[in-house]
Amino acid sequence: MDHVHTEANQDTPVSTARSSGANGVRVHGLSKRFGPVTAVESASFSIKRGEIVGMLGHNGAGKTTTMRMICGVLPPTTGQVEVAGFDMVSQRRQAAARIGYLPESSPLYPEMRVREYLKFRARLYSVDDAGAAIESAMARCGLEAASTRLIGQLSRGYRQRVGLAATILHDPDVLVLDEATSGLDPLQVIEVRRLIEELAVERTILISTHVLSEVETICDRIILFARGRVVAQGDLDTLRAQSKSGAQATLEEVFVELTAQAFMEAAP
Amino acid sequence: MSSLGVIAAREFRSFFLLPSGYVVGALFLLANGIVFLSNIFLPGQPATLRGVFAFDVIILLFLCPAVTMRAICEERRQGTWELLAASPAGSGAFILGKYAASMGYLVVLLLPTLVLVLLLELYGRPDPGEIAAGYLGLLLVGSVYLASGVLASAITASQTVAYLLTVFFWILIGLGRSALPAWLGAEAWELLAPWDPFLRMQDFTIGLVDTSSLVYFISLTGLFLAASVVIVETERCA
Repeated sequence: MDHVHTEANQDTPVSTARSSGANGVRVHGLSKRFGPVTAVESASFSIKRGEIVGMLGHNGAGKTTTMRMICGVLPPTTGQVEVAGFDMVSQRRQAAARIGYLPESSPLYPEMRVREYLKFRARLYSVDDAGAAIESAMARCGLEAASTRLIGQLSRGYRQRVGLAATILHDPDVLVLDEATSGLDPLQVIEVRRLIEELAVERTILISTHVLSEVETICDRIILFARGRVVAQGDLDTLRAQSKSGAQATLEEVFVELTAQAFMEAAP
Repeated sequence: MSSLGVIAAREFRSFFLLPSGYVVGALFLLANGIVFLSNIFLPGQPATLRGVFAFDVIILLFLCPAVTMRAICEERRQGTWELLAASPAGSGAFILGKYAASMGYLVVLLLPTLVLVLLLELYGRPDPGEIAAGYLGLLLVGSVYLASGVLASAITASQTVAYLLTVFFWILIGLGRSALPAWLGAEAWELLAPWDPFLRMQDFTIGLVDTSSLVYFISLTGLFLAASVVIVETERCA
């Protein structure tokens, strides 16, 4: 590690804006092992403020584990995560306060009502003007009409909106959205994508998805995972060049080519 | 409000958002009423709640783990644990918040039983000190049961396993106190007896408030909660 953390500098970012990508995310040498299984190995990347970056990979490629480590849900075995310049291990509270995380399938408390749940989340993040933040988040996510409804009785699309509203309540610098559009109908997908693009103006957004067209539509850059490793990262042209699949190749062709390469390189 | 308070308030409210919270409360009150009417509220019986307190020590052993078994297991099952773990709140706030909410629920369970005290006051002359000591004892023993239940909920992913772990832990302690004197001999048992929670509870039911018992129950609660915090913290930050 290139920084010395002390109790005295807990509220001071460990990195300058330059190294962490101006209120973004910096991941360096991140690895996670579960016993003999290596879920993520030496992942390194940076995301700047205002960027939307998509994580792509097959099931079990390490995307969700990486997201969990970025959000402080799982501790890394080795490596370092900085969120808005704060180290996720030694300055956990400060880093966690600057990140909004929407896990896969948007977990919620079914017995609570929408506004009540948002109030709980606002208090958990010590939001100063919780009332205004809740109204704003509900308006952005189109939840005004559902504010008094029980979460357990909401449709999949509305539940996803509640999850998103809760994620942006505390005005985080970084949003981490795991499969944010999975299970939504086409209209809901368009709405959520539009919301993500709006939010990205002032934030850093990292999304994971299996929908390749989604990545092409909204992401500025792509991080491709295979077998727990980052096998490629950059915009589509960069990935095309790396895959040698031609300048006109689709993202699907590039994805298949690069993933296959990674598996062949790993084969004994 | 602190993170601990926020988590405790949500958890406490959740007990009353589900039918089970009311069902458990009603059954507890019904069982207490039956014990009271069949053993205490009879002509010629002393005006005391000892029988109810002794019964509650046993019934709470089965009830408290039912209250706490969902504390962390349910959060893990429905995925909300990830949201809590990603928040700035510390592991201590999760555990103490869950425990505080469970204690709040225990107080709500015990409150209606004050009707029994009122009946004793109307028809007899109960000792207020003895009754206060009995309630204090129930809160203390309930606190230990709840704290051990929170620990079990932190250890396992299954609510059923968490419930059984807690209940059988205390049943084994209870069985041990019957079997150990014979196995170890009276002298060795005398060394272990002060650690027997049921023996200590008996003092409270007869109105004896011993400082060492207070320290014992509070320390045991603290020990279970500290172990729970360590487990959750290890999961998040190890």
